[in-house]
Amino acid sequence: MSPSVAALRQGGVEAARRLAGRRRAAVTLAGAALAVAGANGAWATFAFGYPGKMSLAGFPGGARAYVLVLVVPGLAVLTRWPGRRAAAMAGSLGVVVVAAGNLVAIAKQGGGLGAVAAGAWLAVAGGGLLLIGAVAAPDDEAPTLAERTLPPAVEAAVVAASLGVVLALVWYGLGVEESSRFASFAAAVAFWASALAGLGVIGWLQALYPRHRTVTLAASALAAAAFPFTQGGEAQWIRVFASIGIFATAAIGLNVVVGLAGLLDLGYIAFFGVGAYVAALTAGAGTTTSHVVLPYGVAIVLGAVTASIFGVVIGAPTLRLRGDYLAIVTLAFGEIFRIAVNNWNSVTRGPNGISRIPDLALGHFNLGQPHRILGVELPGFANYYFLVLVLMAFVITAFTRLNDSRIGRAWVAIREDEVAAAAMGVNTVRLKLLAFAIGAFLAGAAGTVDAHFGRQVSPESYSFLQSVTLLAAVVLGGMGTVPGALIGSTLLLLIPEKLRAFQDPRLLIFGLALILMMRLRPEGFAPSRRRQRELHAEGEGADALSAPPGGPR
Amino acid sequence: MLGGRSARGRLRIAVVTAAVILTACGSNKNETQKGADGSGSGKTVKIGVIAPLSGPLTALGVGIRNGADLAVRQANEAQKIKGWKVVLSAEDDTGVPDVGANAATKLSDDKAVVGVVGTLNSSVAEKVAPILNNNHLVMISPSNTNPSLTQGTDPNHKARPFDYYFRVATTDAIQGPFAANFAYNDAKKRNVVVIDDKKTYGQGLALAFKGQFEKDGGRVPTVETVEPDDKDFSAVLSRVKRFNPDMIYFGGEYPAASLLTSQADQQGLKVPLMGGDGIYDPTYISVAKQAAEGDYATSVGAPTDQLPTAKAFVDAYAAAKYPDPYSAYGAYAYDAATVIISALAQVLPDQKSITDEVRPKIRQAVQDGSIDGVTGKVSFDQFGDTTTRILTVYQVQNGAWKPLETEEFK
Amino acid sequence: MSDLVQQLVNGTVLGATFGLIAIGYTMVYGIIELINFAHGEIFMIGSYAGLALYTYVLPGSWTGNPWVTLPLVLGAAMAASAAVAVLAERLAYRPLRNAPRLAPLITAIGVSISLQEAVRLFYPGGKNVAAFPRIISSGGFTVGGVTVPWTSVFAVVAAVLTTVALDRFVTGTRLGKAMRATSQDRETAMLMGIDTDKVIVLAFALGGALAGVAGVIQGIRFISVDFHIGFIAGIKAFTAAVLGGIGNIRGAFVGGLVIGLVEALATEYLPQGAAWKDVWAFVVLILVLTFRPEGLFGEQVAVRA
Repeated sequence: MSPSVAALRQGGVEAARRLAGRRRAAVTLAGAALAVAGANGAWATFAFGYPGKMSLAGFPGGARAYVLVLVVPGLAVLTRWPGRRAAAMAGSLGVVVVAAGNLVAIAKQGGGLGAVAAGAWLAVAGGGLLLIGAVAAPDDEAPTLAERTLPPAVEAAVVAASLGVVLALVWYGLGVEESSRFASFAAAVAFWASALAGLGVIGWLQALYPRHRTVTLAASALAAAAFPFTQGGEAQWIRVFASIGIFATAAIGLNVVVGLAGLLDLGYIAFFGVGAYVAALTAGAGTTTSHVVLPYGVAIVLGAVTASIFGVVIGAPTLRLRGDYLAIVTLAFGEIFRIAVNNWNSVTRGPNGISRIPDLALGHFNLGQPHRILGVELPGFANYYFLVLVLMAFVITAFTRLNDSRIGRAWVAIREDEVAAAAMGVNTVRLKLLAFAIGAFLAGAAGTVDAHFGRQVSPESYSFLQSVTLLAAVVLGGMGTVPGALIGSTLLLLIPEKLRAFQDPRLLIFGLALILMMRLRPEGFAPSRRRQRELHAEGEGADALSAPPGGPR
Repeated sequence: MLGGRSARGRLRIAVVTAAVILTACGSNKNETQKGADGSGSGKTVKIGVIAPLSGPLTALGVGIRNGADLAVRQANEAQKIKGWKVVLSAEDDTGVPDVGANAATKLSDDKAVVGVVGTLNSSVAEKVAPILNNNHLVMISPSNTNPSLTQGTDPNHKARPFDYYFRVATTDAIQGPFAANFAYNDAKKRNVVVIDDKKTYGQGLALAFKGQFEKDGGRVPTVETVEPDDKDFSAVLSRVKRFNPDMIYFGGEYPAASLLTSQADQQGLKVPLMGGDGIYDPTYISVAKQAAEGDYATSVGAPTDQLPTAKAFVDAYAAAKYPDPYSAYGAYAYDAATVIISALAQVLPDQKSITDEVRPKIRQAVQDGSIDGVTGKVSFDQFGDTTTRILTVYQVQNGAWKPLETEEFK
Repeated sequence: MSDLVQQLVNGTVLGATFGLIAIGYTMVYGIIELINFAHGEIFMIGSYAGLALYTYVLPGSWTGNPWVTLPLVLGAAMAASAAVAVLAERLAYRPLRNAPRLAPLITAIGVSISLQEAVRLFYPGGKNVAAFPRIISSGGFTVGGVTVPWTSVFAVVAAVLTTVALDRFVTGTRLGKAMRATSQDRETAMLMGIDTDKVIVLAFALGGALAGVAGVIQGIRFISVDFHIGFIAGIKAFTAAVLGGIGNIRGAFVGGLVIGLVEALATEYLPQGAAWKDVWAFVVLILVLTFRPEGLFGEQVAVRA
C-alpha cells in the first residue's frame, strides 16, 4: 500500500488508541447500545416494499436482524480472549457495512435520503463507535485454540456440529427470498466468519478436520445427503445444487491439471463437452444423429475415455510450453472444439445441438421421476443430486489418492521446477500427459451426467467463458484442495441464482471479483497451507507458476 | 487496559447478548409472516416470464417482459378475472439454457404460477419445456421458431413432444417457404445465394428457404456460412459475387445482415438482401443506410397499423411509459399473456384457491380457446402451433421498412 | 486471377488491423512477460471513444469534412485507449509484478471481462450494435476486376504510417532504446539507470494508442461497433504477435498480415471456408508454437528439457 495511505492508517490507529481503558469500554458499549436501538427502530420512513417491513419499529425485521447478530462479536474487545481485536473489528465493520448498505439501498429505492429513517443512521453510528472501540484496543496475543486438544469424542462432536451449522445456514440462506436481504445475510455470514477466524475458531476447526478425517467425511456426506430432505418437496435448489455438483466435479478435475501439475488450461471445458456429446449421441435422444444406444454405465465410461484421449491429443503439442503460452494454446484448442462442433452438422447437429435426451435410467430406476426415499417424496432432480454426490465421492477419492501418491509428488515437482524434476529422473513427458488424461477423464465423466440432467447439449454451453468460470472456481476457492474447488463452485453458481436482481451486472461483478481476489487473496478462500505460504512469503521457495513463463526468451 | 476485572467485562457481554437474543426472539413472531406485498384483499395468481433480461439479448427479452406486463396491467385494471389479481413474475434466463432451466424450476415450485410466457431462444426452450411440461405449466413462446418443439423430430411422423408447450410465432418451416415463394413469384428472382449465421434460427430459416425456392424452380448456386459476430465479410462476398446472384438470402440477425448488405454494395454486388424477422429492425437501416434500400424482410403477422388491435397495443404501450421499446417480440408476448389471461378468466372464477387441477385446466382452456390478438387471431392446432399463418413482406423504402404484401401462407 | 488478387487485397487490409493490435501485445509481453488479455478490449474502447467524440463532442458543422473529423476521431481513440491501458497497468498489473504467473493472467482476464461489461452497461446504447459514422465515403476504385474501397486504402495507409512511426521511435530515440533495453534484460536496464517503471508505462501507452487507431479503422471499415469485437480480434492479434516473434514489433505487423491473408485465402479456396474462418488463426498458433515457438523473426532459443 502506498506510504501515504499507510501513514494515514497508522495515524488513525494511534489517535484511536489515545482512548484508554474505561473510556474505550464506554465507547464500545455506547456503540452496541446505539446499534441495538437502531436495529429495533424503523429504517424507512414509509412502506414501499423494501423487504423486512423496514417502516415498522419495535422489532428487528429483515436485514436489521443481521446487524443485531453482528453486534455480538463487536463486543469481543470487552473480554480477555486472544484475538479479540480482530474479532471486534470484523463484527463492527460488519455492522457498518450491512447498515450502510441497506441505508443506501433504501435511499435509492425510496427516492432519496428522505426515505431513510432514524434507525438506519443510529445503526451506522453505533457500528462506527464499535469500530473505534475495536481499533483503539491494543494488539493482543494470537489465538491458541488450535493448539489445544480436547478429548477425541468432544472434538468429533465439534466437527459434526460445525458441519450441522453449515447445513443450517445453507438451509436458512436459501429460504431468504429477496436479493437485497440475501446480500445482507451473506455479508453477515462473511463478517461473522471473519470474526471467528480472528478468535482462532476457524483455525482450530481447520486443525480438527484433518485430525478426525472419518468424522469430517461422514458428517459432510450426511449433511450433503440430508439436503434434499430439507427442501419440503420443492425442486429449485435441489436442481441448482445438482448442477453445482456437476460443475464441481469438473472443477476438481481441473484442479488435477492446474492445481497439482501446474498446467494452465484455458480450454478445459472442451473435455466436458466431449463427454456430454458422447452421452448425448449414445442415449437414443430425440434429435440424435446416431443410432447407437448404450446403457448409461457404458456411456459414462466411453465418454470419460474419449475425453481422456482428447486430453492426450491436446496435451502432446504443449509439452514444451509453459505458463502463458500453454494457456493460450489450450484456449485455442477449446475454441477449435466449439467451432468444430458448431459446424459439424452431420454428427453434432451444429448449432442446434442434440436435444430430447431422455432421463438417465439405471436399470429400471428412472432418475427423472419423483421417488419416495425414506418416506419423503423427492422430486426427480433429487435423484440426479444423489448420483452426482456418488460421482463426486469417487472423484474426490481419486484426487486425494493422487495427491498423496508418488504421481502427485512428481507433479508437484514438475510444477515447482521442471528442469530440476527432469534432472531427478522424473519422466516429465509421461506425467504431464497423464495429468491431462486424468483431468480430461474426470471432466468427461461429469459431462455425461450433464447431458442427461439438462436434456440437451449445444455448442454455446462450451465457450471460453465457461472455461474461465471453471478456472475461477478453482483459483478463487483455493488451488490444490478439494474444499477449495467445492467452495469456489458453490460461490460462482449459487450467488447468481440467489441474487437474481443483480443479473445484469453479474459479469461485471465477476470480472471485478477476479481482479480483487488476485490482488487481495490470490491463494483463494480455502487454500492448501503450502500455497498460502508460497503466496505470502516471497523468497521462501519459488513455484513453477512464479518461474519465468514458457516460450522462447 | 480494561477498567475493572474481566469478570465485569464478561458480565456486560452476557447482558447485551441476552438483550440481543430477546429482541431477536421478538422478531421471530413477525418474521414468519411471509409475502412482500401487503395488499391482502383478493387472491393472487401469477404469470411467469422467462426471457433474457440481461446479457446481449436484453433488448429483445425486456420487450417480451414489457409486452406481457402490459397485458397483465390491463387485465387488472379491467378486472378481467373476478376476485383475482394477476401478478407478473419475470425471471431472467440470460440467454443461457441452464439458467433458464433454473428459472423454470423456480417458477414451477411456486404454486401460484399457472402459466409462463417464454422463452426467446429455441435452445433455452429445449431445456425449459421439459421442466414446465412435467409440472403441468402452460408455456407459450412468443418467438421460438424451431419446428421440432411442436412437431417432433421426424417430419414424416409429426408427434407433439410437449403437451403444455404452445407458440404464437410461426416456425421456420413456414417463414422460409413464404419468403421463397415471394422471391420467385413476386420479385422474380431466379439465382439466389443463401448465407446463414450458423445459429439455430438462421440456419433453419435459410435451409427452409432454399428447399422451397428450388422447388419453385429457382437456383441456389451456393450456401455459405458466416460467424454471427464477424464484421469482415469481404472474403465471402467476393466468392459469392462470382455466381452472379440476383439476390442474397440471409438467415440471421440484423447486426451481421446490415454489414453484409453494405459490404456487398461496396464490392459492387448491388443486389437486394432478403431475410426473416431477425433483420426486421430499425437498427438494420440505421447501420447500413443507403445500402439497405430495396432490401426485403419477412415478419409474422400483419403490419401493426392495419389491425385495430395492433394500434391499440402500440398506443397503450406508449402510454405506459416503459423505458425500453417493445422490440421484435413484445407484441407476441402481449398476445401470449392475453391467451393465458383469457384462460384464467374461464377457469378461475369457480375456484376458491389454486389447486393442483388448475394448471391442467388452464392448458385445456388455452388449447381450445382463441383470442383476437395484436398479431391477428390467435388459436392453436393439435401440435401447439398457431393456426394463423399470416406473414408480411417488408421492403426498405426511403430509409424505413414499408409493408409490401400481407398473405396467409397455405 | 482477379479473384486471387481480390482476396489478397482483402487479406492485406484485414491483416493490417491485426498487425496494429498485435504490436501492442508484443510490446507488453516483451517487457513484462504478461499476455495482456485486456488488449482486445482496449482496441474496442478506441472504437467507442472515436464514436463518442463524433456523436457527442464534435459540433454538427464540422462533421462534413473528413480532413477535420478524421484526425480528431483518431486522436480521441488513441488517447482513450492509451489511458485505459495505462490505468490497467497501474491499478491491476503493477501490484502483481512479482506474483506467481497465474495471478496476473487471471487479473488480465478479469480486466477484459470488466471492460466489456462496463461498455455494455454504461455506454448509451451499448447493449446493441452502434453505427459508426461514415467519415470516409463508401465508394472505391476498381482496377482489373479488383475492387478496392476507400476505407481499405485508409486502413492500410493508417496502419503502415503508424507502425513506421513507432518503429522509428523505438529504434531512433533514447526512450525507444530504453524500451528495447528493458525488454532485453530488465534488471540490467535498471542498473544502467533506466526508470523501468516509466518505460513499462510507455509500452502500455504506445501499444494502447496503436490499438486505438485499429479501433477507428474497424469502425470506419465496418460502420458498426459492439462491445464484443475485442475478444476474437484479440486472440487473432496475439497469434500474429507469436507468429512474428514475441517482442519483435516489425514481426508482429508481418504476422498480422500473414494471418489476414490466410483467412482470406482459406475462405476463397477451401470448401466451406467461411464457416471455419476463425479456426485458421488458432491452427496457425498451435503449429507455430509446436514447431517454431520463437516465431518468424524471434531469436533462436535453446530448447530446454
